[in-house]
Amino acid sequence: MNNQIGDTDTDTDVSTDTSTDSELGTTAGVETSTTTTAGESEEQVRDEWTDYRFDAPAKLSVEDLDVWYGDDHALKDVSMEIPEESVTALIGPSGCGKSTYLRCLNRMNDRIKAARIEGSVELDGMEIYDPNTNLVELRKRIGMVFQSPNPFPKSIRDNISYGPRKHGDINKGLLARLFGRDDSEKEAELVERSLRQAALWDEVNDRLDDNALGLSGGQQQRLCIARCLAVDPEVILMDEPASALDPIATSKIEDLVTELAEDYTVVIVTHNMQQAARISDQTAVFLTGGELVEYDDTDKIFENPESQRVEDYITGKFG
Amino acid sequence: MSERYARENELVSAESNLYDKAMDVAIALSIVTFVVGMITFADAVPLGATGTELVNFFAALLGVVVGGTGIVAVFSYANVIPITSQRVRGVAMGLLVSAVGLTLAAFVLPVSLATMLGLVMLLEAGLLVAAGVVSRLGLVDTAPSMTAGLLAGVVFGIIGALVGAVIVGSLPGLDAAVPGVPVWLLGAIVLGVGFGALAIVPREDLGSTLPAALIIGLLGVTIATAVIGVGWQWTPENLSGGFTGGSVIPVFVLFGSLLASWSAAKCRADFGARGRQYGAFFVINLNAFLMVAIMAAIVVFVTVKGVGWAFHDFSIGALSLLVVLTPILVLTAQHARAPAGTDEWHSAARQFFRVVPLAAVGSLAALLLGIIVTGTTFEIPYQYAILVDRSTVMLDTAFRVTPSLTVGNLLIIVSGAILFTYFLRRYGSLRNVGTEYERLSLVRQGVPAAVGLLGLLSLVYVVIGPVLDNIGIGPVLGLGVATLGAVVVAAFALVPLGALVTGEGTLAERAHESAQLLNVGLFSGIALLMAVIVLEWTAVSNPQLGPVAPVPVVALVAAVSSLCIAALVARARRSTDDTLRRRVLGDEVTLALAAATGYVTLVGLHVAATSESTFALGPVEVGINGSLSWPTVLQGAIPLGQAPGGIYPAIIGTIWIVIGASLFAVPLGLGAAVFLTEYAEQGRFTELVEIATNALWSTPSIVFGLFGAAFLIPRLGNSLSLLAAQLTLSFMLLPLVLITSREAIKSVPDEYRDASAALGVDRWTTIRSVVIPAAMPGVVTGVILGVGRIAGETAPLILVLGSEIDATTAVDVLGGFAFTTTPPFITNEALLGSSAALPTQVWGIITAGVSGSPSKGWATAFMLLVVVLSFYAVGITARTYFRRKINYE
Ligand SMILES: Nc1ncnc2c1ncn2[C@@H]1O[C@H](COP(=O)(O)OP(=O)(O)O)[C@@H](O)[C@H]1O
Ligand SMILES: [Mg+2]
Repeated sequence: MNNQIGDTDTDTDVSTDTSTDSELGTTAGVETSTTTTAGESEEQVRDEWTDYRFDAPAKLSVEDLDVWYGDDHALKDVSMEIPEESVTALIGPSGCGKSTYLRCLNRMNDRIKAARIEGSVELDGMEIYDPNTNLVELRKRIGMVFQSPNPFPKSIRDNISYGPRKHGDINKGLLARLFGRDDSEKEAELVERSLRQAALWDEVNDRLDDNALGLSGGQQQRLCIARCLAVDPEVILMDEPASALDPIATSKIEDLVTELAEDYTVVIVTHNMQQAARISDQTAVFLTGGELVEYDDTDKIFENPESQRVEDYITGKFG
Repeated sequence: MSERYARENELVSAESNLYDKAMDVAIALSIVTFVVGMITFADAVPLGATGTELVNFFAALLGVVVGGTGIVAVFSYANVIPITSQRVRGVAMGLLVSAVGLTLAAFVLPVSLATMLGLVMLLEAGLLVAAGVVSRLGLVDTAPSMTAGLLAGVVFGIIGALVGAVIVGSLPGLDAAVPGVPVWLLGAIVLGVGFGALAIVPREDLGSTLPAALIIGLLGVTIATAVIGVGWQWTPENLSGGFTGGSVIPVFVLFGSLLASWSAAKCRADFGARGRQYGAFFVINLNAFLMVAIMAAIVVFVTVKGVGWAFHDFSIGALSLLVVLTPILVLTAQHARAPAGTDEWHSAARQFFRVVPLAAVGSLAALLLGIIVTGTTFEIPYQYAILVDRSTVMLDTAFRVTPSLTVGNLLIIVSGAILFTYFLRRYGSLRNVGTEYERLSLVRQGVPAAVGLLGLLSLVYVVIGPVLDNIGIGPVLGLGVATLGAVVVAAFALVPLGALVTGEGTLAERAHESAQLLNVGLFSGIALLMAVIVLEWTAVSNPQLGPVAPVPVVALVAAVSSLCIAALVARARRSTDDTLRRRVLGDEVTLALAAATGYVTLVGLHVAATSESTFALGPVEVGINGSLSWPTVLQGAIPLGQAPGGIYPAIIGTIWIVIGASLFAVPLGLGAAVFLTEYAEQGRFTELVEIATNALWSTPSIVFGLFGAAFLIPRLGNSLSLLAAQLTLSFMLLPLVLITSREAIKSVPDEYRDASAALGVDRWTTIRSVVIPAAMPGVVTGVILGVGRIAGETAPLILVLGSEIDATTAVDVLGGFAFTTTPPFITNEALLGSSAALPTQVWGIITAGVSGSPSKGWATAFMLLVVVLSFYAVGITARTYFRRKINYE
C-alpha cells in the first residue's frame, strides 16, 4: 500500500517490519528486536528502494504479501512487480525468505500446513489467491524447478511426458492404443522439443528409456527443467537450481536460463551474487527478517545500491 | 611421524612368523572342532565312535578339507583367483594341518570321538595360554590395549558364574558351608567375579586369552575325562526329560570352539583394534554359519522324509523338459553375455565360468535329445517305506524321464509367454527405419480394426451364441472367419520372409530395408491370430478342414518363418560393420525371436481355447494333458486304494486360501496405508491406528481362528468354509501389509510429491503414478512376509476349515461361480464349502495317530514347504522387477 498510494513523506521512517510494531507506533530507533545476521547493520527500508518501474506489462504483481509459519513471520509485506520475458533474480542471505516468496508465486506454500499467507499475487492481472483458482491451470502456467534435482524414478521419456500425460494431453494407455488414438508420435515430438530446449537432447537421445536417476546431477537438473517446459508454462520459478551442481553444470544451467528468458518469464533464487549479476535483468534483495530491501535493475543493484545493508551484503561484509 | 612410531606399526606385515602360524592353526583348529561339533549335534557321527569308524570319519573330513583348499590353491596358483592375504593362506594351511593331525591322532590314539574332542579343546586352551603369555612377555610384536574391556569382562563374568554354579552345585558334601545361602550361589558369585576380574584387570593379551583358555580347558577336561561322557545322563527332578551326554557334549564343543576362535583370532591380529575386529569377524561368521546350518537342516530333514512319497511314480516326457529348459537356456545365455568378474580374473577363466551354466543346460538338453532319439526311458528307481495296517511296507517306485513327445499346453503357454515377454522387452524400436511402403499404413490401420471386429464378433458369440447355433449360422460363421483370419496371418508371417530372401542388394541391405515390413507383419500377425483364437474360444469352433487345422498349423508355420527370419538376419548382422545397421538388425532379430515364441505360445492357447482337441504334428503332440505324471501332486487321495494317493486337493486348497487372503488384504491394506499416510491428519488418530495395527499383528493366530469360527462361520452358511478361511487369514495378513506399506509410502521422498504438484498434477494422480510405484518394493516385501506367515498357518484353519486328510477332489473355485436371480445374485458353492489344505492335512495326519500314514504327513509337509517357497520366489521376482523399475541399473 505504501508503494502505490503516492506516499509523499517517504522520508518518515515508517516501520514496515511487524504488525505489532506498527500498531504500537514504534519509531525507527526503537526497532531493535529483529534478529539480524551477524555483521548486518541496522537501517530502515525505504519504499522507493523497492519501487522498480519498467515499461513492459507486469507478468506477476505481488502486493503486500505476508507469510507466517506458525508464529514465525517469515515474509514481511513484500510488494513487487515482475516484468514479462526477463530474468528476475532474488538474492539474500539464507533464511531470509527467498524460497518462501518463490513458493507463494505458484501457491506451493499451500502444501505446507503451518504456512499462512496474506496479500495478493496477480498473474496477468488475475488474482491467484482467489478461492476459486484452478490450481492445476495455475501450476501449468507457472512451472517450478527445485533446488536439488528431483526427477521421478522413471525413464527419461516418462519424466518429460509425465505432466502432459496426467493432464490428458497425451494418451498412451491401452484403450487409446486399441482405438487408434495412441499419441506416441506426439509424445516423441514433445520429448524431443523439451529436451532440446533444455539443452539435453544431444546427451540423452539414445537412451530415453533409461532411468532418469542414472543421469548426472547437472543432467538431472536440466531434465527437471525440460519436464517443467513440457507442460508449456509462461513463468518458470527456479529455487537455487545450480546450488548442488559443479561449475560446468552450473554454467550450462546459466546459459539455459538466459536463453529461456527470450520466451519465458524466469524468476530465479540464487545465493551466488556473481550468478545473479551475470544472468538477471533485475534483482531483488531480501535481507534477514523476510523483508524486500531493494529491487531494481541488476546493474543498479550491483553498482550503486541505495541501501547500506545491500551494499554490505553485496560486497560480502555479511551473509 | 617419528621413526620409532613408523617402525612399531608397519603398514604392510606380509611375513608371518611362528607365532602367527601357530595362531592360524589355532583358529583353523577351532573351526574344524566347530564343524565336528555341528556334525555330532546332528547325530551324523556317533560320539562314541572309535577305531576304524573314527579314522574313517576324520579321513573323510581330511578329504573335504584337501579338496576344498586344494581347488582354491590350484586356482590361486594359476592366478585365476589369486589369494594374497597371509591370513587366508594361513588359515587354509591351518585347516590342512588340523585335519591331518586329527586323522593321525585318530589313527594312533585308542579313544572315542568325544574324548578326542575333549583333548583338542585342551590343546586349544594350551595354545591360547601360550599365546597370551608370549605376548605379555614381549616376545612377539603385538599391540594390546590396557584391558580386554568391560564387555568382555561382563561376558566372562556371566560365563564364570554359570560354571561356578554348576561345579559347586554338583559337588557332593558342600551343602551347608554357609547356612541359609544356597551353595551354588556362592560358587556362582566367586567364579563370576573371578573370571570377570581375570578378563578386566590384566593387559588385553592376558585378559582375553586366560579366561577363555580356562573355560575351554574346563570344558575339555570334563569331556576328555568322561565326567560327562557319552553315556552320561542327568534327569532333573522337576523335568520329565533329561540331558544326555549325546546332546550336552556337542553344545560344549560348539561353545568352546566359538570362544577359542574368538580368542585365537584376537591373538592372530595382534590384539588392539585390529584384534577386536578379527575376533568379532570369526564369532559373527561362525554364528551365522550355525544359524544357516540349522535352517538348512530343517529343510533337508523334511525333504529327506517326504521326498519319497512326493515323487512317487513321477515321470515326464523329454520334450516337455526341453520346453521347460528353453527359458533357462535363454537366461543362462544372458548370464554368459553379461560382463562379469573382477579384473584379477584372467579373461579366459572369466569366460569359462560365465559359460559354465550355459554349457550345463546344453548338456542337459543333449541328454534329453538322446532320450528322445534313442527312445529309451531314463529311470532312477528307489524305495521308501509307508505304514499299512501298522506295519512298514517298502514301496518300489522310480523317477522317470520318458521319450514321450507330448507336451501339455499349459507348459507351452507359460514357457512361450516368458520368452515372448523377455524378447519383447529387449526389443527397442524400429521406428523410422527402412522403406515405408504405401500399403503398410493401410495395414497399420486395418489390423486394429480387424482385431476390433473379431473381438466384437467374439462378444456377440458370448451373448447370443446359442441363438446363432440354433439358426445354423453359428458354427459356419465362426469356422469361416477363423479360417480366413488364419490365412491372412500366414500371409503376414510369410511376406517379410519373402522380402528378405528375394530382391536386390545384400542380405543385410534387404533386411534393413524391409524393417517396416517385419515390424508390421510380425506384430499384426500375432495380434490377429490372438483375436482368432479368442473367437475360437467363444464360438466354440475348431476349424478343421479335412485333416488340417488351419489355426495351429499357421501358428507353427509362422513360428518357423519367424525363426528363419531371425536366423537370416542374425547371419546378415555378422557381416555388417555399420553400427547403426547392426543395431537395427539386432532389433530385428529380437523382434523375430519374440514373434516365434509368441506364435508357439498361440499354439498352446489354441489347444486351451478349443478344449476338446489335441494338436498333433507327426509324432509331436500338444495336448491338454501333457506327458507329466506326478500322482502325489496332481491327484487326490484314492479311497481304500493300494497305491499311495495324492495330495492335490490340499495343494489347491492352500493356494486358493493364500490367493483369496491376499486379494482381500493387499488392496485393503494398501488403501488404508495410502489414506493414513497421504490424506489423514497426522496426529492422535493415526497414532491410534498404528498402535492398533501393531497389536493386531502380534495377536495369536488362534484368536483369529476363534473369531472366524464364532463370527464369520455363522454368517457364511454355518459350515466350515474356504471363504471363512480366506477372510480369517486375510485379517491376519492385513496388519503386516498395512504396516509395511505405510513405511514404504512414508519413505518415498517428498521431492517427488513436490515435483508432481508443481506440474499441476493432483494428489490422487500423484499417489497413483509416482508414490505407489516408488513404494512398491516395500509393499511387496510386506506381502511376501505376510504370505509366508499365513500359508503355513494351521491353528485358525483347523477351526474354520477343518482338517481333512484324505480329500479325493479339489475345490473348483473358478468353476464354482453361479449366477442366481435372487440376491446376492452370485454364489459359489466351492467357496462356501470346506476344503483340504496342506497345513491342516499335516495336523490331521499327526492327530489321526496310527491310522494315519506318517510318510504321507511328511510328503504333505514337504509340499507345504515347496508351495511356500514358490510363493516366496514369485514375491521376490516381483520385488526385483519393481526395484529394477525404479532404480537405474
Ligand atoms: N516449511 C516450513 N515450516 C516452518 N518454517 C519454515 C518453513 N520453510 C521455511 N521456514 C522458515 O522461514 C524462513 C525463511 O525460509 P526460506 O524461505 O527457506 O529462506 P531462504 O530460501 O531465503 O533461505 C526461515 O526462517 C525458515 O526457518
Ligand atoms: Mg531457500
